Amino acid sequence: MMAQFISKKDLLAWLEKLIQERTLIAPARTNDLLLFQLISRVDDIVLNSNTELSPKECFFPATETLFTVRTNEGHTELVAETVDRETVIFGLRPCDAMGIALIDRPFLAEPADTLYGQHRARTILVGLACSQPKGECFCTSLGGGPDDATHLDILLTEVEDGYIVQAVTERGKEILPPVAERELPLPPTPSLEAIPTEGLPEVMKRFFEAPYWSRLADRCLHCNICAYVCPTCYCFDVRDYSTKGTVERVRSWESCQSPGFTRIAGGYDPRPTKGARLRQRFYHKFLYFPEQFGALGCVGCGRCIRACPVNIDIREIISDIQRMGAKGGA
Amino acid sequence: MDPSQQIREKAKELLTSGAVQCVIGYERATDGVTARPLFAYEVEDVDRFIFDQTCSHNLTRYLLDKRDKDTAVVAKPCDSRAINLLLNEKQIQRERVFVIGVACQGVVETEWNHVTERLQTRCELCRQHTPVIYDFLVGEAPEEEPPSQAYPDVSQIEARPIAERRSLWEGHFSRCIRCYACRQVCPGCYCTECFVEQLDPLWAGIRIAPPENEIWHTIRAFHLAGRCIGCNECERVCPVNIPLSLLNRKLEKEVDQLFGFQAGLSAEALPPFATFEKEEILE
Repeated sequence: MMAQFISKKDLLAWLEKLIQERTLIAPARTNDLLLFQLISRVDDIVLNSNTELSPKECFFPATETLFTVRTNEGHTELVAETVDRETVIFGLRPCDAMGIALIDRPFLAEPADTLYGQHRARTILVGLACSQPKGECFCTSLGGGPDDATHLDILLTEVEDGYIVQAVTERGKEILPPVAERELPLPPTPSLEAIPTEGLPEVMKRFFEAPYWSRLADRCLHCNICAYVCPTCYCFDVRDYSTKGTVERVRSWESCQSPGFTRIAGGYDPRPTKGARLRQRFYHKFLYFPEQFGALGCVGCGRCIRACPVNIDIREIISDIQRMGAKGGA
Repeated sequence: MDPSQQIREKAKELLTSGAVQCVIGYERATDGVTARPLFAYEVEDVDRFIFDQTCSHNLTRYLLDKRDKDTAVVAKPCDSRAINLLLNEKQIQRERVFVIGVACQGVVETEWNHVTERLQTRCELCRQHTPVIYDFLVGEAPEEEPPSQAYPDVSQIEARPIAERRSLWEGHFSRCIRCYACRQVCPGCYCTECFVEQLDPLWAGIRIAPPENEIWHTIRAFHLAGRCIGCNECERVCPVNIPLSLLNRKLEKEVDQLFGFQAGLSAEALPPFATFEKEEILE
């Protein structure tokens, strides 16, 4: 097969150029953590593993100001935040690109979220195919794949001495690095453990009241780690901050696992128990999101599995639910 | 007999007799090498119990969710101090809790799918090998060793100039994502409404940003002064590697020096911040 090839040396030179022309975000280490970070030196980029936090924060930051209202001598002015910088995210994995495509659905459905849309319109995604997926990766069970180019602008696949470059979109072609035609086969797709996701929403419908959830919640700490490392969790809280003459509207990540997340005026909480909160996480991913947006709300990146301090394992939950479904009942 | 087997037999006896409704211990996690908490309600579940050097979790935290149930819990020596803390603070009732204490030689550093042979730092410094409170003891208490200097890393940081300490903690707090795993795992963090979630007055706000993060960690550390029992769970669960035990042990050291008090060693001792004596003057 004829492929577009770039040597490692040329790739580095291309990245150097990108740093000059745009904002470059890529995986880099900080305190033993691999995170998507602003890159000022190409040498800082680390590509041998996926990051601890997903790249969703490039579009949906942990905290951002939406707008500011200023009052000055009787004149009131609303200043909306805008995104000006042109960004390239380099080295994201196909699962994370799929995660971005999934949260596009709620954020970009009308009425679209302006800031999210601006981040998205000014960002190009240059992905890297996974040659050695981790044991807890299961993207192939969710419609993705370790070398799936679908949601990227450019996909790189590592081969000896360099990378095969696939330009997927027009935007990808705009910034395409200098490549050479070469007779090169694409490496075989690594195979992953299969998790039984087929027909999951229908089965979920039958087990809402199952004691399974409260038993599972016994172990859950109800921290927000799973939601915050997740590429597809997109809940947030909004608060106004006022100082003299200025009101700033801020949005920050929040999660359905927080006590009080659904508490309403008057103090009533429709999800008052640990079991109800834990259940919400999985019903949102495997029933409500598919019903609203037509896809399961998980990409199989395995982050929540690695990060959970008490081993709430989403693969085990999917398998348990399917087993309960196969047995009948509820 | 091996400790796992001892726990299984005791759990079976407690569940069969109806002495407790649930036994909280450890089982193997889905990675096949580390441990996770197990809540056994039925006798059929007890064979899943394990105990070995991967059993790091402090399970006493879960007693707060089981206040109205008779519950047995597996507790290492460090964890057992949290039971005294919770008894002392009237959060749990002694007659409702059956403590399966485990003699402990320390637990090892683990991460998902990976177990090392390296003892956790806190275990290297620990000299408490037998639980301070238990109804049944698993394993044999090893010979007690002479106490060691428990704060070498704290002292090291104390010796640095203030600007350096400031930037060290600013760096750590800037990584915080406010997931509150440190709070959720802590046996001493049981406020019905945490100050960070109070709206009126608004103590910290929702921003996941350095100033708010610093307020969060500072107030939490002070709230645990004289109460932290040193299980180090907060540091273990932190997804962004903030060395929280340094803060907690700094305050533990201060409280020990000022009041000669260590949290959780007894259920009766009056904690320094819950008492006031007229003669008490702090220099």
